[in-house]
Amino acid sequence: MDTPQNNILQVDNLNVYYGNFQAVNNVSFFVKQGEIFGLLGPNGAGKTSTLSAVEGLIKQQSGTVTVAGYDTLKNPLHARAAMGVQLQATSFQPELNVAEILELYASIYGLKLTQPLLHALLKEINLAEAENKKFGQLSGGQQQRVSLAITTIHDPKLVLLDEPTSGLDPQSRRQLWSRIEAIREKGNGIVLTTHSMEEAEAVCDRISIIDHGRIIATGTPQSLIDKHRNDPEVIAVSRRGKVTLEDVFIALTGLEVRA
Amino acid sequence: MEIAIPKTSEVMKALLKADYTTLWRNRRANLMVLLVPMIIVFSWKSMVSMPMFGPAFVLSNAITLGLVAIGLMGYTNSIARDRDKGVFQRLRVSPLPLWTIMTSRLLVQLTMIMLLTIVVFVAGYQFDHIRMSLSGYLFTFLISIVGGAVYLALGQAIVGRIQNPETVNSSARLIYFAFIVVGMFGELNVAYLKDIVTWTPYGTVKTILAAGLEPSKWNSQTTNALLLTLGYTIVFATLGIKWFKWSTK
Repeated sequence: MDTPQNNILQVDNLNVYYGNFQAVNNVSFFVKQGEIFGLLGPNGAGKTSTLSAVEGLIKQQSGTVTVAGYDTLKNPLHARAAMGVQLQATSFQPELNVAEILELYASIYGLKLTQPLLHALLKEINLAEAENKKFGQLSGGQQQRVSLAITTIHDPKLVLLDEPTSGLDPQSRRQLWSRIEAIREKGNGIVLTTHSMEEAEAVCDRISIIDHGRIIATGTPQSLIDKHRNDPEVIAVSRRGKVTLEDVFIALTGLEVRA
Repeated sequence: MEIAIPKTSEVMKALLKADYTTLWRNRRANLMVLLVPMIIVFSWKSMVSMPMFGPAFVLSNAITLGLVAIGLMGYTNSIARDRDKGVFQRLRVSPLPLWTIMTSRLLVQLTMIMLLTIVVFVAGYQFDHIRMSLSGYLFTFLISIVGGAVYLALGQAIVGRIQNPETVNSSARLIYFAFIVVGMFGELNVAYLKDIVTWTPYGTVKTILAAGLEPSKWNSQTTNALLLTLGYTIVFATLGIKWFKWSTK
């Protein structure tokens, strides 16, 4: 049985407003240890706002977020220490090189990154040669690897990845999936947002589909396909006779292109 | 499950190391900040011996314009750029108190202020043969920090009000240029102009710096200038903090 005590992330009745606009509407979900949880939704559905509230970048108007047992409003530093975050658009001081960036974030998380540890880390992310390169000089895939290494440098209980494979080539994407799965193997909980249904099906244990700030479906990718495969809307949008998660997603969120 | 949070002192140390490294890597840009004060020290040499100007006038103008450059060009642009690139957002999701991010940035600027003051003193000594009392140098050193705070606070207000880094840059340059003009023409013997300039952020800082170099000439007008300088700092800093957003998204 899933109890809040077992959950690495517990979000209850979360509401986020930007002025009069409600971006997140009574959202509740949980993530267990060793689970990859996908938050899917069209542009502007409320994925990033939900994640931002969990990360503490924006303050919710109501609802609670608990990370590893710490309320993000009451114990923000403990909650942030328990999570590793990879933001959608993130950057590091452009004057610093890769080694300096890794050392900075290791120190921020209270870790001492000795030279052997640094070299081992760089080797692990296939960037042994890039130690002295500036972050801006790295390719998209290399930047993503540095970013993920920083996200997980302190072995966080919860890893939040906002569209981690956006803009990556298939090879880099596959490599990242392997890294995400390796994090899961260690028992850490992972939340990722993505527009790629292929990715969600491939790596997520459970997903929630969010639209207009509300969660409209939750389950394993296969259970959602099975549940909705006979819906007329799903049959109408399915192609080549095989129902996919993307068909279910489009049927639930509509064909309209979002801004 | 017990989660340990890093010590604030360790976090501060890491941030300072990164910010000082950034300062060092930007040394060419920082030399440009020192350029205008140096030009003043070199080109106004003849004014040092003029009774109506004197050494305190030259040094106080040079330091004031350097402080303006640090606050408006260095600090403001670095904050606008890092905010736009998402550097602050990445730091904000880490387990550090938010005040440490800005404190580290401000301490780096404080170093620049102290460096500027020393460079102007040395240049004045070396090239203009300006000799002030030790107490004058020390007092001015402290006052330059007070004066620098006005422009850092003004920079904070600009970067708080304006989101786009290019617009921040152009606005800061425009204001910097205005201060240079004020510095060049403010001392013209036009009564109303002089009165206005005296009570601008430029004029008040210049007044207290000049009095700092010659502590015996400190008078009630200098005290008023000091109070006004502190007032400007409080107003600009309050607005800057109130308006400031960590992200442009």
